[in-house]
Amino acid sequence: MDSVLIIQSLISGIMMGMVYALLGVGFSLTWGVMHVIHISHAAFGLLGAYLAYSLLQYFGVDPVVSAAVSVPLLFLVACGVYQLLIRPITKAKEVIVASMILTFGLAIILENVMVLIWKADPRVLTPTYASGALIVGPFYFQYPHLVGFSLSIVGITAIYLFLKKTYTGMAVRAAWQQPEATQLYGVNLYRISMITFALAVSTAGAGGISLALLNSFEPHSHNLWLIYLFLVVIVGGVGNVIGTAMAGLIIGVITGLSMAFLPYQWVNLVTFGLLMIFLIFRPHGLFKQGV
Amino acid sequence: MLRVDNLTVCYGQMQALRGVSMEVSPGEMVALIGGNGAGKTTLLNTISGLIPPAGGSLGWEGRPLNGLTPDMICREGIVQVPEGRKLFPAMTVEENLIMGAYLPTVRKQSRESLRKVYDIFPRLADRRRQLAGSMSGGEQQMAALGRALMARPRLLMLDEPSLGLSPKAAAEIFATIRVLNKEGLSVLLVSQEVLETLAITARGYVLENGVVALKGPSSELREDPKVKTSYLGL
Repeated sequence: MDSVLIIQSLISGIMMGMVYALLGVGFSLTWGVMHVIHISHAAFGLLGAYLAYSLLQYFGVDPVVSAAVSVPLLFLVACGVYQLLIRPITKAKEVIVASMILTFGLAIILENVMVLIWKADPRVLTPTYASGALIVGPFYFQYPHLVGFSLSIVGITAIYLFLKKTYTGMAVRAAWQQPEATQLYGVNLYRISMITFALAVSTAGAGGISLALLNSFEPHSHNLWLIYLFLVVIVGGVGNVIGTAMAGLIIGVITGLSMAFLPYQWVNLVTFGLLMIFLIFRPHGLFKQGV
Repeated sequence: MLRVDNLTVCYGQMQALRGVSMEVSPGEMVALIGGNGAGKTTLLNTISGLIPPAGGSLGWEGRPLNGLTPDMICREGIVQVPEGRKLFPAMTVEENLIMGAYLPTVRKQSRESLRKVYDIFPRLADRRRQLAGSMSGGEQQMAALGRALMARPRLLMLDEPSLGLSPKAAAEIFATIRVLNKEGLSVLLVSQEVLETLAITARGYVLENGVVALKGPSSELREDPKVKTSYLGL
């Protein structure tokens, strides 16, 4: 087999995987910390992609620059969504089930809003450097891919540092491990839940922009993204940031290789098959350690 | 300092506490003993604001505590070391301790508090980078006590601090609690180690089925025939 092709698809798999990881980290945190399975997580990511698209299309703002606006904007929107929709259901007996049903509805609403505003046609982000590429020996990297990949590395590093180095981030991890004891030392669980949720949604936005730099997207793309989120989180372990990043890379590489060597219709089959195998044999993921 | 008046707590239809009254004065070390299911942990968790009372009142330095959330109770200086320690297992010892100083009011002094805790428990300093979940029971209890001290408590409530510890580790924990109390910290001590608890406290309450069955100086409780047969096995 052609070794250049193998390495090339390995590298694009790694790039793709890092983006899945950025999308997945927030999904994993809301699941682990709040027991909310946020089905509209990917739809918010897609919203981030569309915001970047419009800002680029109508104002000529580069996606990376506009992320500095749209990511904080999504944070605020998510705070509102938390207060209005999520917080009331956290008192439910079956938070996981209630949250899935609620946010499934939210995902449908978001999808249709996106159809209304941006139409159902596929879109691509075409920044000024869209046609450029970095050529290293026999290998070929499109600039948008490199930018999306870098954005996802920055995003994951930022979340990691937030969780490790800040008091609020430590409280998020503590709340995931021992919610009751966390409260005993002065942590307001509602505040931490709101921050977790909003942070997750805003990183989904950043992940959506990264993914939009790699692939085309349309209003229902979030459904497929969501499957990848589940896969990344299940392989990486719920609430585990490093595990999620590793899982993203693994899944990216597997997808990348199967895209290169298998007929197109087999790629998703491999992905879903992998998800099933994991659910049966390693439902708690590959990695033991938490956050 | 802490005043509990006619407190009632219900879990659904079941009454866990039925009109409990008790108090802790500044600098005092008070024992709370009783069998399993007597309501000791419920009382502590209600004071901490984790469980809403169904009736009665909780007072702290003359002000009501009813309706305050757990984080606000902690801010008042009432800090609990929960039963089973409830450390953050996937965080390092030092991260666990730092979490104790989460409140902005005590955060500024966290370096100084950390040094103090390491002075009290040098073993925690040796293990500062170790994950809390990987330590022995005795070390975990030290970390749990240390974490509570990081919050600069004025009333420290300990729920079964010797549970599951070796006799040596338990003695070490009790000795530390005693020193802390001597230094002026008010302590409410819940423990099944009745003899040991009554030896180091001045006063005590015996809870049975959600009511205060007995109260008085610890030396008298130790001699009480009922306490002797039910809790001391004499």
